[in-house]
Amino acid sequence: MSKAKAQQPAVIHKVIMVGSGGVGKSALTLQFMYDEFVEDYEPTKADSYRKKVVLDGEEVQIDILDTAGQEDYAAIRDNYFRTGEGFLCVFSIKEQESFQATQEFREQILRVKNDENIPFLLVGNMIDLKDQRQVSYEEATKRAQDWHVPYVETSAKTRVNVDKVFYDLMREIRARKMEAIRQNNGKQNKNRKKKKCVIL
Amino acid sequence: MADGIARILAKSTFDPEAFIAKLSAGGEDALLDLRQKVHALNEDTAQALKKNVYKNYSQFIETAREISILEGEMYQLSNMLTEQKSLMSSMMELPLVSDKAMVEGPKEETKEESPEEETRRNLAFLLEKVEGCSSVTEVPGRHLVHDTDLVELDPETHIQIQRVHAFLLSDSLMMATWVPTRRGAMRYRFQGLYELDSLAVVNVRDTGPVKNAFKILMFPETRMYQTDSAKSKRQWLDILEDTKKKKALKDKQRKEAANRLSDQLSLSPAMSPNGDAVPPGSPVASKEEEPVTMDTDFLQADWLQELPEDLDMLIAQRNFEGAVDTVEKVTEFLQACPKGPALKEFKARIEHRVKQLTDGLMSELQVSPERSLRGGPRAARHAVTQLIRLGKSAQACELFLKNRSAVIRYNIRQLKFEGATTLYIRCLCTVFFSSLSDTAKEFLKAFPDHYGCYSAFVIWAKHELISFVSIFRRQVFESKASLTTIAECVQLAKKHCAELSSIGVDMEFSLASMMDLPIQQVIEETRDQTVEGIRYRAQDEMWRPMNLQNKNDCDKFVADMKKTGFDIEQYVVDKCFVSLTQATVQFAKSSVTMVEDLMKLYTIELESLIANTIETVVMAQLAQIQSALKSDKFKSERPTILKNTQFVAEKVLGRIFELYQQNDLTCPRQLQAAQASYQQVKQ
Repeated sequence: MSKAKAQQPAVIHKVIMVGSGGVGKSALTLQFMYDEFVEDYEPTKADSYRKKVVLDGEEVQIDILDTAGQEDYAAIRDNYFRTGEGFLCVFSIKEQESFQATQEFREQILRVKNDENIPFLLVGNMIDLKDQRQVSYEEATKRAQDWHVPYVETSAKTRVNVDKVFYDLMREIRARKMEAIRQNNGKQNKNRKKKKCVIL
Repeated sequence: MADGIARILAKSTFDPEAFIAKLSAGGEDALLDLRQKVHALNEDTAQALKKNVYKNYSQFIETAREISILEGEMYQLSNMLTEQKSLMSSMMELPLVSDKAMVEGPKEETKEESPEEETRRNLAFLLEKVEGCSSVTEVPGRHLVHDTDLVELDPETHIQIQRVHAFLLSDSLMMATWVPTRRGAMRYRFQGLYELDSLAVVNVRDTGPVKNAFKILMFPETRMYQTDSAKSKRQWLDILEDTKKKKALKDKQRKEAANRLSDQLSLSPAMSPNGDAVPPGSPVASKEEEPVTMDTDFLQADWLQELPEDLDMLIAQRNFEGAVDTVEKVTEFLQACPKGPALKEFKARIEHRVKQLTDGLMSELQVSPERSLRGGPRAARHAVTQLIRLGKSAQACELFLKNRSAVIRYNIRQLKFEGATTLYIRCLCTVFFSSLSDTAKEFLKAFPDHYGCYSAFVIWAKHELISFVSIFRRQVFESKASLTTIAECVQLAKKHCAELSSIGVDMEFSLASMMDLPIQQVIEETRDQTVEGIRYRAQDEMWRPMNLQNKNDCDKFVADMKKTGFDIEQYVVDKCFVSLTQATVQFAKSSVTMVEDLMKLYTIELESLIANTIETVVMAQLAQIQSALKSDKFKSERPTILKNTQFVAEKVLGRIFELYQQNDLTCPRQLQAAQASYQQVKQ
């Protein structure tokens, strides 16, 4: 086990997929993880994935928690959200209700994380089915602007922007982490520097 | 000599060849002699054997019977032991084998009705296995759903931390760490208990080196566990999900029930004189809390908390009396307890055990082929008493009587029909009526003051009587027995039946009504047979006095007749002649026997039939006499005929009247008329 650990990159970015049921959270995750699109819809309970990726030249691990859109208990959802460092809030562009639901998810995440600047992406999925669009690009962008978050449209089926949303989010998470380290007191900074020196 | 041979043959060193060689040297005579001796020896031995067999015959039969009974009981015993053993092993397996629990998934659903049944047992088992979990097992209604060994991993690095054992309870998840240095049952130490409500489960997909893992998010911790197989993980995820759902459903129901209750309670405050509408939210909620805490406090007493467990134990030990004592005690106590949902729940738990208890008691009374019926009625009383105390007198009564029916049937079946009908009927009556009276006595003792059950007993007794009569009828009436036998049997039954009235059960009328019809038929048959006999004898009648050859025989005959109730000395002529004919004597004998039997069968309902029967028989004889008198053939025998007529008129009819008197009955008029017509013949 410890050997395996040595090979694992030390940095883990924890991403959580949120959104109503059936908007394609799992499809996005699976496309990202395994480059495959799953047609069959089966409601997720809560799945966690981990993958080694190279983020801007740095090897990191991404830990994706694919949550259940149908989870009945807010208390349990809180538990999921607490473990996350960044959120992909997914809705289906062909389903207005799912778009409306993002508001609720956003509020819950902010409440649980107690952080206005939590890494967060608003994701409009199913862009391959543009002809059935119910949520306009403008509408979604406006909401994203209100929240001060990016808005990205994706297709889990055609893999449009799939890697982008994950990597963008990871960058945000990384940026936040750096900031946190910077904000930390000098002592820890010193420690870090010392450590760095040793490595060098 | 034979003894000598026997000694030689019985020797253990007997050598047949040498023996024969030695004998054959002596020639033919010696051989013949030997043959004779051997033959005699053979006969002697057979005789001795027969004697021995006969001597020990009854003992042998008795022993064989006892052995067969013993064998049956041993068989039952071994059956019961096997049953017990399988029960024990299934009990032992139950809490440990999680795979089985999964395989029996659908069965779990049906078990759900009474999950508390195993609650105590399972959680008690936890106490033995896990150190420091006593607080966990104290929660009533909690039971074990699933448990396996798991490996705890670091959620960040996926490094193995320690071995743990997870216990999924009905409302929470308990983790216990494995203590490697321990020996014995107590191998785990309590780590934590997590409410299912706030517990999030995450399925960790098999990416990278870690397989078969899942995460449990329980704020503020995140824990990751690894199972030993994909199947086991699937089980955990499914069962966790399932249990969470069930718990949520239960909570919801409980909440609804509490709401309903508080709605009722808040009805009066809602009608407060202020007329203010009570806001639906808060006050109701606060009110709902109040009674709950009150009755929970009330139920907090130690003995109450342990009571269900104690009850389980008592039932398992078959200490039914103690169990009923406990139930009575708690029922009394709960009556004083304030009403509330907790009480309701508690009551439900008690009720469940009461049901178990009742089942146990009922099975005690149940008639089953593998149970010996050799116990008396007192054996059943114990169970009956407890059932009555539980307020199940009706069931107790029914089962008790059913049990008794089986016992009676069994006892009757034990009777062997050997030889005489009367003997068998005597045994049958003894067995049946003594069982009946035993049952009645026992019933009065077991069901005092349960008057409602008495009617059930009466109906039962009637029913039993019917089956008794059907056996009786088969043995007595349908076996073509003689009237004498039948009369004796009927008399026996009646006598026994009459004895029952001493214990307050009078069934004579039902017995009589059930037997009336066959008795009538028998009487009519007998009458026809007797008349037939008279006609048959008349054909050969020569109307000659009986010649008994010598005085000795004649005296013997007279004495013989005297025994049957006839004084015929006046009919003796010349010391060896009797002026009665053979047919007359036979008629006298048969008719008197018949009348005697009829007197035994006498009931008011049968009175006229009996009188008519006797009249028919007597008149049939008269008809023969009259035709003989008219016939020219017997002209010279007229004095003898008249003498016989006189004998019938005086002695036979006189004897019949006497029999009537002996039974304290008035002689029917038609018989007196018959006597008169005989006397007319004389003139």
